[in-house]
Amino acid sequence: MHNLFIKRFATICSAVAIVASLAACGSSNQSANTIGFWDPYPQKNASSTWEAFVKRCAPEGYKIKRTGYPQSDLLNNLTTAVKAGNAPQIALIDNPKMPTAVDAGLVTDIKAAGINTKGYDSNIEAPGIIDHVQYGISYGSNALGLYYNPKILEKAGVDPASIKDWASLNKAIEQVVASGSKGITFAGISGEEGTFQFLPWFWGAEGDLKHPKSQAETDALNLVSDWVRKGWAPKSVSTDNQSAAWDAFLTDQYGFSENGSWQAESAKEKGYGMIPIPGKSGGVAPVPTGGEFITIPTQKKADKDLSKATAKVINCLVDGDNLKKTNDEMVYLAAKRSVRNQQVQENQIWAPWVKPIEQAKGRTSDIGLKYEDVSAQLSEDLQEALNQR
Amino acid sequence: MSFNIHPLQDSDGSIRNSKKRGIHSTTLAAWGFAMPLIVYLAVFYVTPLIQNIFMSLHRFTRRTFVTGDAPWSGIQVYQEVLGNPKFWTILVQTLLFVVLSIIFQYSLGLALAVFFNQNFRLSAVLRGAFLVPWLLPPMISGTIWQWMMDADTGVINKVIGFFGGSPIWWLQADHSLWSVIIANIWLGIPFNMVILYSGLQNINQDLYEAASLDGCNYWQRFWKITFPLLKPVTMITLLLGFVYTLKTVDIIWIMTKGTGTSRTLATWAYEMAFGKGTSATIRYSEASVVGTILIAIALIFAFAYLRAQGSERSKQ
Repeated sequence: MHNLFIKRFATICSAVAIVASLAACGSSNQSANTIGFWDPYPQKNASSTWEAFVKRCAPEGYKIKRTGYPQSDLLNNLTTAVKAGNAPQIALIDNPKMPTAVDAGLVTDIKAAGINTKGYDSNIEAPGIIDHVQYGISYGSNALGLYYNPKILEKAGVDPASIKDWASLNKAIEQVVASGSKGITFAGISGEEGTFQFLPWFWGAEGDLKHPKSQAETDALNLVSDWVRKGWAPKSVSTDNQSAAWDAFLTDQYGFSENGSWQAESAKEKGYGMIPIPGKSGGVAPVPTGGEFITIPTQKKADKDLSKATAKVINCLVDGDNLKKTNDEMVYLAAKRSVRNQQVQENQIWAPWVKPIEQAKGRTSDIGLKYEDVSAQLSEDLQEALNQR
Repeated sequence: MSFNIHPLQDSDGSIRNSKKRGIHSTTLAAWGFAMPLIVYLAVFYVTPLIQNIFMSLHRFTRRTFVTGDAPWSGIQVYQEVLGNPKFWTILVQTLLFVVLSIIFQYSLGLALAVFFNQNFRLSAVLRGAFLVPWLLPPMISGTIWQWMMDADTGVINKVIGFFGGSPIWWLQADHSLWSVIIANIWLGIPFNMVILYSGLQNINQDLYEAASLDGCNYWQRFWKITFPLLKPVTMITLLLGFVYTLKTVDIIWIMTKGTGTSRTLATWAYEMAFGKGTSATIRYSEASVVGTILIAIALIFAFAYLRAQGSERSKQ
């Protein structure tokens, strides 16, 4: 009788224990010699050269546990991880999100951690410096340009060198459309990706993010929405992201595509050319810098040895020859002139990208945390403009 | 049978003894068996619900979420959300989405269920084919609908063009609500069909035989026998359909990212909670308020269902 009671009690307890342990198992994946490493490159899997490259940077006695999250989820995941006290030792954060990450106290002073921050280009590093404190290192950047399809331009009798400002660009697109091809693809999707693609037009019209509601915004919105209204750009631009815009361009039906330097290899294969995005009344429009910051997230428990090992990993990723390797992996141009020159020497496809990257502006450099609201406003306005019938 | 229910009896053989102390230990055993479920419900249902309400009553930002010192705001965030004209527009869009989806899902599902209930040749195969929308991941069906509804190259516009119509910009801001409703109806028909079909199979065939002997035509048989006898199944189908449709995010998100008129309360809450959509700013509190409102709406309908079910029972 008694025995049975105990047996039953034990069953109940174990049932409760199973449920309780299920609930608890989410939080204990840290050990003293593991360096957590989060990046927004989920396409790089466990057998990728990137993963091997990162893991080789682990100091003696430590191992690196790399996790790739989608760009849009990484900061949210980091937010909950910092709160729960199980943040990774290293996280790569998209540059426009740096002010938000700093404001929420998610990342720490990187110089204080013993990282050498000298010699990097200031336009690329600016988004990571907030109130004179540097919270991360950006190892490189991509940039936006205007790709063109030489065959289609030739058929339409358009010389890409003649495109110097918006008027000549519009004329070129018009000629392309008149010759029976389609005009231009770009990404107008709601959110940061669409804003990223809109900024060169906004800045090219002398727009200032401190005063987004301006004639410059109206001009830039009219430019891109007219393309849709006239049928020069597909109606799907308001939901197209940059890969969708590129896929459309790859069909060889379009004359132009606004897209990123990460497509340079693909463009070379297809024989496409690239010109810098023109400003409204001439010159080259500034493009936003695109790339991630290597940061050290806030830890609940300080561990001196682990912090030292973390700093070693970061230095390894950006020191000497490795800075080039890191950039080659991500198809970025390095944030140091000497390394960039080396990249161009090795691969000529980079040559036309050097200038746009050197003239690129950080999205948050001027207005910091306010960029989040400004970007949202621009995105709303862009959606409205692109959806005009 | 009773031997198994009171296992104490066979353990010490004394029935009197077990009766005296059995009340206590069987109650305990009952609690023990219920415990895993109770713990499960508490951990996975009650806690998030309380957390949701808690967050809607405090002002959470990304920073205060991390530091844990979000200030108490009472019903202030509720007032802000309800005072935002956007909310009422989105509420109307949500109700249009839900009501139109359900009306068409149900009526088309019922029509198909009645059709397949005639058990003709190949009916089982065709019925299986109609389940495809249900089996496809929404990611895939959403992408296919987006592709079919493309204004420039979509097949739907090609078909319209073939019959001489002018192309429609389906996913344009003003039309996007109708586009996602169409896709969602297609998605929900199989669910309605399957449940209603099983309801139809429980209707006694003798009734139809008797009715036709009395000279009822097909429509009379449907409205006087099928429809009334299907009422309990109809009610649960509509309730489940209501809840499913109310919380739909995936299909809308994939097709339009919740832009234009296709923004519903559910996609709006998703946007704010995770900083998706146009704004990357996280609005935990506002999202929780919308979440709580969604729960309240679903509860109202659940209670309406329970009442209707109760009155149905008392009639019998």
